[in-house]
Amino acid sequence: MARSSRSAQKGFRRSPKRLVLGVFVFAFAALIIAQSAPQIRGFFDPVRTTIGDQLGGGEQIGLWARMTGQVEREQRIKELEAEVRDLSRYKAAAISMAERMEAYENILNLMGEPPVRGVTARITSESDGPFAQTLLANAGRAQGVEPGSIAMNEGGLVGRVLQLGEHSSRILVVTDFNSRVPVMGEVSGVRAIMFGGNQGLGMLADMPERAELIEGERILTSAEGGAFPRGLVVGEARNTGGEWRVKYAMTQRDGGYIQLIPPPVIDKPVPVETPVTEGEAPLGASAAQGVRQ
Amino acid sequence: MARSSSSRRRRGLWAKTGPTPRLLFGAFVIAVVGLFGLTPKDLFGLSFVWPHAALWGAVGWGRVGLSVRPMILLIAFGLMQDVTFHAPFGCFVVLNLMVYGGSAMIAETFDVMNEPLIALVSPVLLLSGACLLLWFMASTLEDHPVKILPLVAAFLTTGVLYSLVHRAFDLGRRPGALEGQAS
Repeated sequence: MARSSRSAQKGFRRSPKRLVLGVFVFAFAALIIAQSAPQIRGFFDPVRTTIGDQLGGGEQIGLWARMTGQVEREQRIKELEAEVRDLSRYKAAAISMAERMEAYENILNLMGEPPVRGVTARITSESDGPFAQTLLANAGRAQGVEPGSIAMNEGGLVGRVLQLGEHSSRILVVTDFNSRVPVMGEVSGVRAIMFGGNQGLGMLADMPERAELIEGERILTSAEGGAFPRGLVVGEARNTGGEWRVKYAMTQRDGGYIQLIPPPVIDKPVPVETPVTEGEAPLGASAAQGVRQ
Repeated sequence: MARSSSSRRRRGLWAKTGPTPRLLFGAFVIAVVGLFGLTPKDLFGLSFVWPHAALWGAVGWGRVGLSVRPMILLIAFGLMQDVTFHAPFGCFVVLNLMVYGGSAMIAETFDVMNEPLIALVSPVLLLSGACLLLWFMASTLEDHPVKILPLVAAFLTTGVLYSLVHRAFDLGRRPGALEGQAS
């Protein structure tokens, strides 16, 4: 009671301090709300950065960041920045190498690979197909898919068109045991025939006895047999228990879409009939003569 | 006998200290704890939860009523917390001032100095309210409910450590008030 009366007596004297406290609280609350505007936040950010640098707490992960999930976002951003830096180096190297290769091809007058044109299609798995590992794509002859087309996804080679319908096609996936893909190591150059194996890894057959792949090197199509174009990414070389296997690249990026690329077709040479003039030897007697002509 | 007299002298030194040196000492403790909080707090892969030292001041200094000097110190500490925690400017200032005002209000309503139960319950209530307020502010400003677990851990640490160091934030009387003019 005595305390209550004393409080009442001092109430008048305390009111200015309450007012000051109230003003401070409202002023800073208004400041918080005002910072939701990007222009005002942009004004405070340099101040915050400068003071943060002075305090040395700029790199610290604060409670606010932990609560609001900024830690994960910032870590992801840092990872992506590091990846972009790495990729920038690779990009510069790739541009340089591409320019050099173009120059070499010009010098050698080399016929390169024809430009790729393909059809993108949605795929679904098939449970009662003729093979264990087949897919159905919702594009067929009407969409421009050709017999024997190559199916690729974002990761690499998926398979090859086995049956072609008017609006759909059946793809034999490289993971199937009956699939045969001529492959080679990107660095070692060792060639082999890949077929589907167990544990999600491709098996390699017909490898040279004294040649070894390199652990982790990319496995590409070798274009032998003419069914697949050269250089498509198939996977990575893995040595499991002394046996070389292929970890499929297609399984790393499975977006549910594939691109169907026409198979490589090299036109068979057609003899050209040229008029034979008197006193000249007939053309086409030999390849060497033909080239000279 | 000599031991008891020396202990009396030690108690007497703090008892004789005025509110302004006590305020400065409390501010020094908050600053030291806050500065150590800027250093890496990971040991063997485990990260320590660091307390909100400024709230010790807000709870302790508010027990003798409102005063401008603690408010200014709490504003300064709040701004530093905003910078170090990467929070929008003003969040921790508002938090510190609200807790300070709440502590002063409780002290005005109840006899905090002589009622052990009130002395125990009031910091718990104030820190719980501060935790909820900070969570609410963070959730509102980020447009989604933020994680409350790190917040609760930090406030638990703040509360546990406050029970150990609360004497350092006892001003005895309001800063600027004369001896014997206790609030």
